Amino acid sequence: MIGNDIVDLHLAERESYWQRQGYLNKIFTADEQSFILASADPTTAVWLLWSCKEAVYKIVHRHTRVRTYAPLKFNCSVTAGTVTYEGHVYPFRSLQSGYCIHTIAVEKAELFDALEIYTEDALKREQWDISKDDDGVPYLEGSPVSISHHGRFAGLVIYRSNNYAGTLHMI
Amino acid sequence: MDQETLIAAIKEIVKPYTKNEEALNNISENTDFVNDLQINSANLVDIILDVEEKFNIVVDNDSMERMLNVKAAIEIIQSKLAGQ
Repeated sequence: MIGNDIVDLHLAERESYWQRQGYLNKIFTADEQSFILASADPTTAVWLLWSCKEAVYKIVHRHTRVRTYAPLKFNCSVTAGTVTYEGHVYPFRSLQSGYCIHTIAVEKAELFDALEIYTEDALKREQWDISKDDDGVPYLEGSPVSISHHGRFAGLVIYRSNNYAGTLHMI
Repeated sequence: MDQETLIAAIKEIVKPYTKNEEALNNISENTDFVNDLQINSANLVDIILDVEEKFNIVVDNDSMERMLNVKAAIEIIQSKLAGQ
């Protein structure tokens, strides 16, 4: 299973004021807050961690089909490159270019080899023929995909099962 | 506090974060913050902090977990106010 999240840092700056009293405590663990505050660029650190949690939330939602808002349950370690949720460790990779942070998370590291990753201009979304099931889980021509959009950017990650040597149950 | 007053208060709170104005004008108990109002998930925390300030309550993590729509927000606010 796969998940991705994209952040337009320019839009995030206008939409969110993370320095707001109580903000960090609601969504980041003590370790994550230490990482943010020790970072040379705390704002970018906030959105990197947030994108990691969102990407893994999409994996979990695909499994459980239950929508929740529980960011503190997703523990992100940037140094380890993982997010832990309910005892399961999800590896992630994050690409940053200019004002764009694009984070892709997978259920297990081998799956990275089976992915096609697109980081695009938001306008590109019109060309993606995405269908969604009743729970809002997206597919592209029958393949499981993860999509994301924020401001000027859009992300698309396609899982190609024929590129994956192992066995995996995909919904 | 009655349902109508609460919905009006929630409408004011979510307004600055809402991307779908039409859905905001038609807000009801069945309105979903993300799917209907198209609020960015990073702004849900602002809504929770605004609710805490407006009603002088603390939204605990278990409540926050399900605060994705107007109905849940009403239930949480009412139960916190009753518990004071």
